Amino acid sequence: MNSLSGFRPRGAGAVLHGAALVAMGLCWTVPAFADDVIRVVSPYQTTTLDPMRSAAAGNIETYGQLYSRLLRRNSETGALEPGLAEKWEISPEGKSYTFHLRDAQFSDGSPITAADVAFSLNRIRSDKRSAYPAPLGAVESVTAADAKTVLITLKSAFAPFLGNAEIWNMGIISKADVEKRGEEAAFATVPVTSGPYEVKQWKPNEKLVLQPNPHYWRKGYPKSDATVELIEITSPETRIAMLKAGEVDVVRAVPWAQIDELKAAESVDMRLEPSTTIYMTLLNHKREPFSNLKARQAASMAIDNKAIAAAITRGYAEPANTTLPGSVDFHDKDYPGIPHEPAKAKELLAESGMAGRDVKILATADAPAQQTALLIQAQWQAIGLKPVIVNVDGAAWWDATGKGDYDAAANWWYNETPDPDLAVRWAVCGSCGSNSYNTFYANARVDALVEQGTKEADQGKRAEIYKKIQKITTEEVAQIPLYYAPNAVAYSKRLQGLKLTPSLQWTLEETSIGQ
Amino acid sequence: MPLLQLISRRLLQLIGVLAGISLVTFLLVHMAPGDPARLLAGERASAETIAAIRSQYGLDLPLWRQFLTYLANLASGDIGLSLRFQRPVSQLIKQFMWPTLFLTGYVLCLAIPPTVVLAILGARRPGGIADQTVRLLGIAGLTIPVFWLGIMMSRFFGVSLGWFPVSGYGTGFTGHLHHLFLPALSTAIWLVPVLTQSLRAALIEKTTADFVTAARAQGATERQIFWQTMLPNAALPTLNLLGVMVAFMIGGAVIVETVYAVPGLGTLMVNALLGRDYYVVQGLTLIFAVSTVLITLMVDLLTAFIDPRVRF
Repeated sequence: MNSLSGFRPRGAGAVLHGAALVAMGLCWTVPAFADDVIRVVSPYQTTTLDPMRSAAAGNIETYGQLYSRLLRRNSETGALEPGLAEKWEISPEGKSYTFHLRDAQFSDGSPITAADVAFSLNRIRSDKRSAYPAPLGAVESVTAADAKTVLITLKSAFAPFLGNAEIWNMGIISKADVEKRGEEAAFATVPVTSGPYEVKQWKPNEKLVLQPNPHYWRKGYPKSDATVELIEITSPETRIAMLKAGEVDVVRAVPWAQIDELKAAESVDMRLEPSTTIYMTLLNHKREPFSNLKARQAASMAIDNKAIAAAITRGYAEPANTTLPGSVDFHDKDYPGIPHEPAKAKELLAESGMAGRDVKILATADAPAQQTALLIQAQWQAIGLKPVIVNVDGAAWWDATGKGDYDAAANWWYNETPDPDLAVRWAVCGSCGSNSYNTFYANARVDALVEQGTKEADQGKRAEIYKKIQKITTEEVAQIPLYYAPNAVAYSKRLQGLKLTPSLQWTLEETSIGQ
Repeated sequence: MPLLQLISRRLLQLIGVLAGISLVTFLLVHMAPGDPARLLAGERASAETIAAIRSQYGLDLPLWRQFLTYLANLASGDIGLSLRFQRPVSQLIKQFMWPTLFLTGYVLCLAIPPTVVLAILGARRPGGIADQTVRLLGIAGLTIPVFWLGIMMSRFFGVSLGWFPVSGYGTGFTGHLHHLFLPALSTAIWLVPVLTQSLRAALIEKTTADFVTAARAQGATERQIFWQTMLPNAALPTLNLLGVMVAFMIGGAVIVETVYAVPGLGTLMVNALLGRDYYVVQGLTLIFAVSTVLITLMVDLLTAFIDPRVRF
C-alpha cells in the first residue's frame, strides 16, 4: 500500500483554508488618499538638491519648487514677471542690469539679500562643477551694491539675458547656510530654500516629500497647504496603474499608447501641454557616411517624418520642419522642411558614394527610441544604406555619442526658455561647447549668426537671424528633425491650477485641491 | 564535524567569496561604458564640468588605485558613498532592505502551504487525476512570466476591483501585508510549481524507501510514517532548493519590485546600475553574496539537524 494514499492532508487543507481567509480579509477597498497630499509620479529622478549641480530632467522639476529666481514666468501668459527682484533697470547700451530685491525670506526665516543672489549666480557661473553655466555666459560680473541691490554687468549687450535669469538653475540659495554647513551637507537632506516649498523628507531613489515654505515671498502661496510627494517610478505601466487606482494625482510622461484610454477615464484629466521638446535623429558628422553632406541630405529625404510622428505618437505630435523646437520664439513655421522623396534620396546617396555603407543606429530601451530606430532603419534600407540598430542603456548612449562612436541616434531635447539662444547654442553651434549636441556639426557662419542673434535688440531683425540659422542647419542636415511633441501629463480631476510649463516647471504653488 | 567548526569554516570561506565578488563587480561596473558624472550633471553639462566632478569623486584616478581605496575603505567597514545621492551606501541599503525582506518572508508564507498540499496531492497517486491537474497547473504557473502576471493582477485586483494597492510598501504591519499582497502572490505563483515538483518527486521516491518499510514493519501508523519519517526526509532536497530561491529573491526581486513600485533592493539595484552608481552596485552585490552564503549555511545546518546522516 502506498503510505500516501491513506493520508488525508487535513492539516495542510486547513492551512490553505486559513490562507484564503487571510487573503480575503486583506481585500478591503483602498481608502481614498488623504486630501492633504498631492502625489506626482515621474520617471525622472531627483538626484541632488543643489540647483547648481545638475541639468537632468527630474532635478530641473524639483529645483523650481525649492528655489526662487530673480524673475518668474507667469504660468498663464508665459510673460516674465518680477520674482525676488521687485524691479530692475537696464542701462541704455544694454550692458548693465540693476535688480532691486523685495523683502523676502528663506525657509529658515533669514532675509534674502543681494549677497545671497551674488553668491548663487557666481557659483553657477564659475564653479567648476556647475552643470549648466551657459545661460550666464554673457555675464562679466555679479555684485551686491547694497543689501537689496544686485548689479550685473555683461560683457556685451545680450538680448536673452532676462529670460535666462529666470530658468531653473538660477535659483537663489542661502550663502550663510552653505558657508555654515558646507556645500555637501547644506544640500544633502533638508536645504534652506527660497521657493514655494521646503523639503520635509528625502528618500533618494524613492520620493521627495515637500511642504509649503512658510516664509515664501508670494503671500498666499502655495495656495494649498498640501504636502507634495514627487515619486519616482520607472515603469510606465505602473505609473498608469497607480493613477487609475487613485494612488497618485499626476503622471508625467504618459506613453502615447495610453493617451486615448486615459482620455476616456472619468476621474482623469489627460492633457497634452505645450512644450519646447523636439524629437530628432543625431547624425555623426565626424565620420562617414554622414560627414558627407549629400549622404546626410539623402538620409533626411528618405525619412517620412509625418508618418513617423503619426505612427509613434498616434498623431499627438506635429511633424518637425526645422532643427529648432516648434514653440521657441522665432521658429520659422513657413519653412517647408525637407521633403520626403525616397527616389531622389536614392540618387543623392549614389552620388555621394556612400551607398551600401553600414550605419550604426544607437537606441535606448524606451519605446519611442526603439520605434524610431526601427522606422529609420527601414527607410534607410530602402535607399541603399545598411543600418544596424545597437541597443544600449542611457549611460552607454551618452558615452558613445559624446565620443562620436555612432552614426545615428534618435533622441529628444528641449529648450528651457522661449528664447531660441540656448537652443541654437546647444543643438547647432560648433563653437559653443556642446559639439552641436554631439553631432560635431560645425559651420562658422552659423556660429557667427548665433552670436549676432544675442546682440541684436530689434525683434524683427532677431527673427531674421534665427530664420537664417534654421534654413542653413536644416538644409545642411545638422540633425534630422522628426516631430515636436507636447508634454503628455495626466492629472486627477480634484486638482485645480496645476500644469507643467514648457520650461518643465510644475505650477504646484498655484494648485488647489477641489472636492 | 562539530557545529562550531562548520560555521567557522563557512565564515572563512565567506571572506574569500566576498573578495572575489568585490573584485569582479568592481571591474565589471567600472569597465561598462557610461559615466556617473555625466548622468549626475545632466546632458547640458560641459566637458570641463564632467572632468571636475570626476576628479572630486576620484573617478579620474587609475583603476587599481580606485580599487585599493575601495578595499581599504571596505576593510574599515565603510562600503562607500553613493555618487548620485551623496549618502552612505549602508544607509541606502538599510532604507531599501526592509521591503525586500518583508516581501521575501511574505512569499514564503504564501508559497509553502500550497506547495506541501499540492505535492502531497500529486504524490498520493502518481499519474492520477489530481497529479495530472497539479502538474498542469504547475506548468501554467511556471510559464506565465512574472512581469506579465504582475501587470495583469495589478490591473484587475488593483485598478478594476480596487481591492489592493498597486504600488508602494504601506505603513505598519497590516499596511505592508496589504500593499505587498499582489507582488508576493505573483512571485508565489511562480515559486510554488518549482517547489512542488521537487517535493512531489522526493515524496514518491521515499514511499519505497527501506526506512519506510522498516517503520511499517515496526507497526507505525500511516500517519506517523508520513509525518515523522517520509515528509522530513523528502523535504530535504526541497529545502535546499528553497534556500537558493530565497537568496535569489533577496537579490533578484527586480521584476516584481519594478512592476509594483516596491521601494526594495531590486529597485535600488536597477537604478544604481542605470545611473552607474558604482559603490551602490558594489555594496548591493556584497550584500547579496553575504545573504546567499548565510542562507545556504542555514539550510545546511537545518539539513544536518533533520538528517543526522548528513555531516560535512
